[in-house]
Amino acid sequence: MPADATTAAPPAPFRAPYLPSTDTEELQEVPSTQDPAVSEMKALRATLDTAPHSLPAAIQLAGAYVDYGRQVGDAHYAGYAEAVIAPWMAQARPPPSVLVTQANILQYRHQFREARVLLQKTLSMDRNNAQAWLTLATLDMVQGDYSSAGKGCTEVIASAGLELGLACSANLRSYTGQARQSLALLHQAEAAGGPVPASYRAWVQGLMAESAERLGDWPLAESHYLSALKLLPRDNFLLVAYADFLLDRARPKEVLTLLADHAQSDTAFLRLALAQSALHSEQVGRYTWIMAARFEALTLRGSDFFGREQARFALELQHDPQSALDLARRNWQVQREPWDTRLLLEAAIAAGQPQAASEALDFLQKAKLEDPIIEPLARRLRAQ
Amino acid sequence: MKAGAMALIVVSALIFGPPVVRAHSASDAYLNLTVDSGSPRGMFVAHGQWDIALRDLDFVLKLDDDGDGRLSWGEVRHHQSAIERYAYAYLSFSGDSGNACVIKPMRQMIDDHADGAYAALFFDVVCKQAPLKLRLHYDLFFAVDPSHRGIFVMHDRANLATAVLSPQNDVIDLTL
Repeated sequence: MPADATTAAPPAPFRAPYLPSTDTEELQEVPSTQDPAVSEMKALRATLDTAPHSLPAAIQLAGAYVDYGRQVGDAHYAGYAEAVIAPWMAQARPPPSVLVTQANILQYRHQFREARVLLQKTLSMDRNNAQAWLTLATLDMVQGDYSSAGKGCTEVIASAGLELGLACSANLRSYTGQARQSLALLHQAEAAGGPVPASYRAWVQGLMAESAERLGDWPLAESHYLSALKLLPRDNFLLVAYADFLLDRARPKEVLTLLADHAQSDTAFLRLALAQSALHSEQVGRYTWIMAARFEALTLRGSDFFGREQARFALELQHDPQSALDLARRNWQVQREPWDTRLLLEAAIAAGQPQAASEALDFLQKAKLEDPIIEPLARRLRAQ
Repeated sequence: MKAGAMALIVVSALIFGPPVVRAHSASDAYLNLTVDSGSPRGMFVAHGQWDIALRDLDFVLKLDDDGDGRLSWGEVRHHQSAIERYAYAYLSFSGDSGNACVIKPMRQMIDDHADGAYAALFFDVVCKQAPLKLRLHYDLFFAVDPSHRGIFVMHDRANLATAVLSPQNDVIDLTL
């Protein structure tokens, strides 16, 4: 049962250090040991503790940390995984399985250039490393290098098999004006698999939802988002993508319910703040303050650039088109998914600087991206 | 048949899915130090406040006694001495030419940050001989999470010094 939407409201931002008045006062949510994923990580940790030099045990634990961190949207687990494989990374020639795990961690942190170096190194040692090809193809798609991604997907078919290869090619087609073929391929990918893990099926459903969005088929997109969430109910990426879908459909109330239990995730928190803003709620100021404080904490630690979220925050919640445009432009030099392009176009329009979007407009034309939200923005900018 | 089974094994071992998943901020702790301008002659005293996320402490110390996924004040209070022992093992100060300075833990409270509740550890740093330079050594969580960062701020009268402590930058020298 979804928690009451009001529970998503965060505590008051200003407060001096204090002593809680009762022992029962709840201070912090933490991963529960009653969660099977948490107890599995605990068991894998115990296995590694008894055999600290076992590479397979380390890779398994690091993989479990990375998976869990991705799912719940918690960057701490990437750090835990990094610590687990650190002794092998420190070797003169780290094994391919360690290199590719480290590359996935770097990719998660948006250190794309560093991730690519490790993936190339992996492939020079192990030409058929399926994970390396898949991560590389994904990176190419994120960064908008579609011809390289196409080659990568071919290698994925050769090294990992048809199911993943089909999903890889389908994902690529959704960015290059072939969303209909993308959906057809995804149906094949869905049918090709036997007893595949839920995370794979959820990934395919999520890609189907994205392709349906490219086609403007909102009911179809929604049904795929719901199927994906049925498989992985707390997956941060799916929750946030579905929340964006609901915000675009002017259904902010549903976002509050959907994300009520996920306010700890920064990406989910931004969507809660956007929903509050769409509802003209009294809470907007508080949400905006906390979101700004979280970005500030990231800046303080010298963290990786959270460009997409920061640009959207500046544009829609701080109403500062110039900052939004600067952030969106910087972000677009690193990642070029449809949302990154959309934000750049929206910020360029809001700031009254159509020329700032010219490179993105060329990119769109070359890629032939079809998208019922981005296309009108592009037309408007081209007309200016 | 055989090829299908192989592909299946590969699929279940791979990490796939969306690449752009940034959510929670990674682990940060906040270390604030205020130099006491009224220190007894020849001595050096500074007052510190060190905020460490409860969720990070739970990962290493298992604070959630009943495993329900919710840390209560009772559970935190019950583990305060363990928190103190753990944290202060990863922080040290020394003066010039290795003059040791001691950390005197004072009290613990709770401090709310934008990403959750933190244990606020209050302490004093006392050096018997006032040093010209104070060396700080910080290792908290680096062994379990190299992406942890200590955000350090020192107030010395009107002067402000800041640093980000990381595995690559775990020792800093402060000119007093």
